[in-house]
Amino acid sequence: MYKPLKLIGMAAVASLMYAGQALAGPYDPYAGTTLVVNFPAHPHYNAVMKILPEFTKETGIEVEVDQLPYMKMRERQTLELGQDEGDYDLVAYVVFSKADYVYADQLENLARYFMNPKLADPSYDSDDLIDGYVYNIGFAGGNKGYLQGKTGSLFGIPYGSETSVLGYRKDIFAKHGLKVPSNYDELLDVACQIPNLEPGMGGLSSRAASGHHASHAFLLHLAPLGGRVFDDQWNPIVNNAAGVKAANALKTIVDCGPKGAATFGFGEALGSFLNGDTAMFLDTTVVAGQINDPKKSKVVGKVGWAMHPMGVRRGSQTGGFGIGIPKNAQNKEAAFLLMQWLTSKKGDKLVAMAGGNPSRFSTHQDADVNAKFPHMKTFGEALKHADPDWRPIIPVWGKINADLGTTLSKVLTEGLDTKQALDGVAERTRKVMEDAGYYTWQ
Amino acid sequence: MSYSTINRLTPYVFLAPAVVVMAIALLYPLMYMVFGSFRAWDPSQAIGEAEFAGFTNYITLWHDPNFHESLIVTLKFAFSVVALEMLIGVGLALLLDRSLRGMSVLRTLFILPMMIAPVVVGLIWRYMYHPSIGIFNQTLESIGLGSVDWLGKHALMSVIIADIWQWTPFIFILALAALQSLPRSALEAARIDGASGWQQIIYIKLPLMMPVLIVTCLLRLIDAFKVLEVILVMTEGGPGLSTEILALRISRTATEFRELGVAAAMSNYLLMLLLILTIAMLAYNKIQELKKARVKVLIDGDGS
Repeated sequence: MYKPLKLIGMAAVASLMYAGQALAGPYDPYAGTTLVVNFPAHPHYNAVMKILPEFTKETGIEVEVDQLPYMKMRERQTLELGQDEGDYDLVAYVVFSKADYVYADQLENLARYFMNPKLADPSYDSDDLIDGYVYNIGFAGGNKGYLQGKTGSLFGIPYGSETSVLGYRKDIFAKHGLKVPSNYDELLDVACQIPNLEPGMGGLSSRAASGHHASHAFLLHLAPLGGRVFDDQWNPIVNNAAGVKAANALKTIVDCGPKGAATFGFGEALGSFLNGDTAMFLDTTVVAGQINDPKKSKVVGKVGWAMHPMGVRRGSQTGGFGIGIPKNAQNKEAAFLLMQWLTSKKGDKLVAMAGGNPSRFSTHQDADVNAKFPHMKTFGEALKHADPDWRPIIPVWGKINADLGTTLSKVLTEGLDTKQALDGVAERTRKVMEDAGYYTWQ
Repeated sequence: MSYSTINRLTPYVFLAPAVVVMAIALLYPLMYMVFGSFRAWDPSQAIGEAEFAGFTNYITLWHDPNFHESLIVTLKFAFSVVALEMLIGVGLALLLDRSLRGMSVLRTLFILPMMIAPVVVGLIWRYMYHPSIGIFNQTLESIGLGSVDWLGKHALMSVIIADIWQWTPFIFILALAALQSLPRSALEAARIDGASGWQQIIYIKLPLMMPVLIVTCLLRLIDAFKVLEVILVMTEGGPGLSTEILALRISRTATEFRELGVAAAMSNYLLMLLLILTIAMLAYNKIQELKKARVKVLIDGDGS
């Protein structure tokens, strides 16, 4: 009598244990793990810091964050990702690092994680992620090597991504009966009317400082005005009619901008708009939080938002950051769980409510998010036209970008002829591309 | 082995471990840089994996107009700041080498700028030069003068001013220390012979301070050739390449362009330039000392 009872008891305990194991949460095997992540000092990631305790509470996984200024972050990653064993389990990378890291085989292909039933959340809904962002920041190996396509794979997920929108001073536009520009002719016209209508005020804040800033500002206009840096055969076409038009548009904007605009980096351009020194700001969506913050802005409640004006086509920028798992990470599966949680519908809404940039269509349409941030609706509209190919993301881009940016700075400050300057860029770019082997098949 | 040989070699045996460690610590990174400069080296590779490129990196730089421009900017920047800092620093030291009330406080205040982190110095000056909210333009406009495009047309001058503000105290401290250690008897003798203050400076103080001033000048020159953070924060090398000094170009080449081999070759060019300058200045110092020694021998000879 005793033995059967004992056997039944043991079987019951074993069944319960098995059932318990079968019902264990996906995070349980990783509870107590400490992930080391590398994030930039950036408004979006400042918001992320606020929601990380929620992740730890829900999963038992601790997160240690090494937050660095983003150029410094890139330098650190250049060193870290080259080691045999890395310190970082998850890294945020600025979009143009994608090419470098993927080409150097330093980021995990995410397919094997999304294929793993123990790790992949079935309710993740990847179709809800913003297409332009995913293709720009996460994909590699497809069209042109850096975009989506039949041969492409996913190496990262957009997180802290941005597109471009036009911010304008509603009060100034109303005072002078100005129409919010919807195309480039109107934009340039209004930008140069403002200094006459409002003495001391610049038309549009733009970054224009030598190097990356000037290059970024130029590319912002190049895509909508119909241009590209390369044609489909990698021939530089930055000096064609659209390129010259984009460079001249930038020059007009700087000339009609606030004092010293030719040397403005992103910080000064935004600062000028926040200070009320300019009537328009055409750049990334990430600034909305600061524009609405009375501690930082003198224009709270005075700013309206519109789509990036149209040239011959619509084409707003795609940029910002993505997150990926380094090949040399120590806790890859737990890192994937953090990545998945952060970019899930829940995580995306949480970060949006904390002041970050959402990466999902649904978050832009969310009633709570829209109630707190009314501009989110316009941003969601702009995202439909986010152009993942507005800037080439190839390993040699850093060099071309620097040359383009310093040459354009000379156009803006030293009066260099635009066409001649861009011809020089095209010629030098061809040499860089040739050395990198882009014409091997021609 | 004879006792005298052992006696002669003993110090070397004791010194050998320290010398070996020092040599490794000093030479290994240098050798690494030299080795890397001959390779097509990408940050994703270990140096040994990088393809051997011979002198390609050096030749590429030799024909690179941007490198030439950076080199010229570096020379302009380094020689301007060092010349002006020497002039102001030594001048201030001569002016403040006296016992007046509150002088020690004043001296402490003078050296404060060099204690500030370069990035902070860059930020402070960047905002002081700001076209609309900067203190300089606000002051100029308040007295009816027009604003100046500090970080635009006058960017190089503006970064030179910031560097002078931060590093003149370094010259000042060393010059003051040199002044205060001058033999009082020589100054006393000059005074008794009726030398004016100016004559004392030209004929007594400056010649006696010269060895210290040459070393000070050399140290500042080496440092000025390698300035990075202040310029990076203030102008990022712009407008155009007008303030892109070599250290900034090296940093960009390594991190933005991901060409570690080219960056290493550029560093070696800079190293060679600094070596030539150092040897020239030390040789000049040696010649001056030899000249002084010869004069002393002649004087002593006459006197004996």
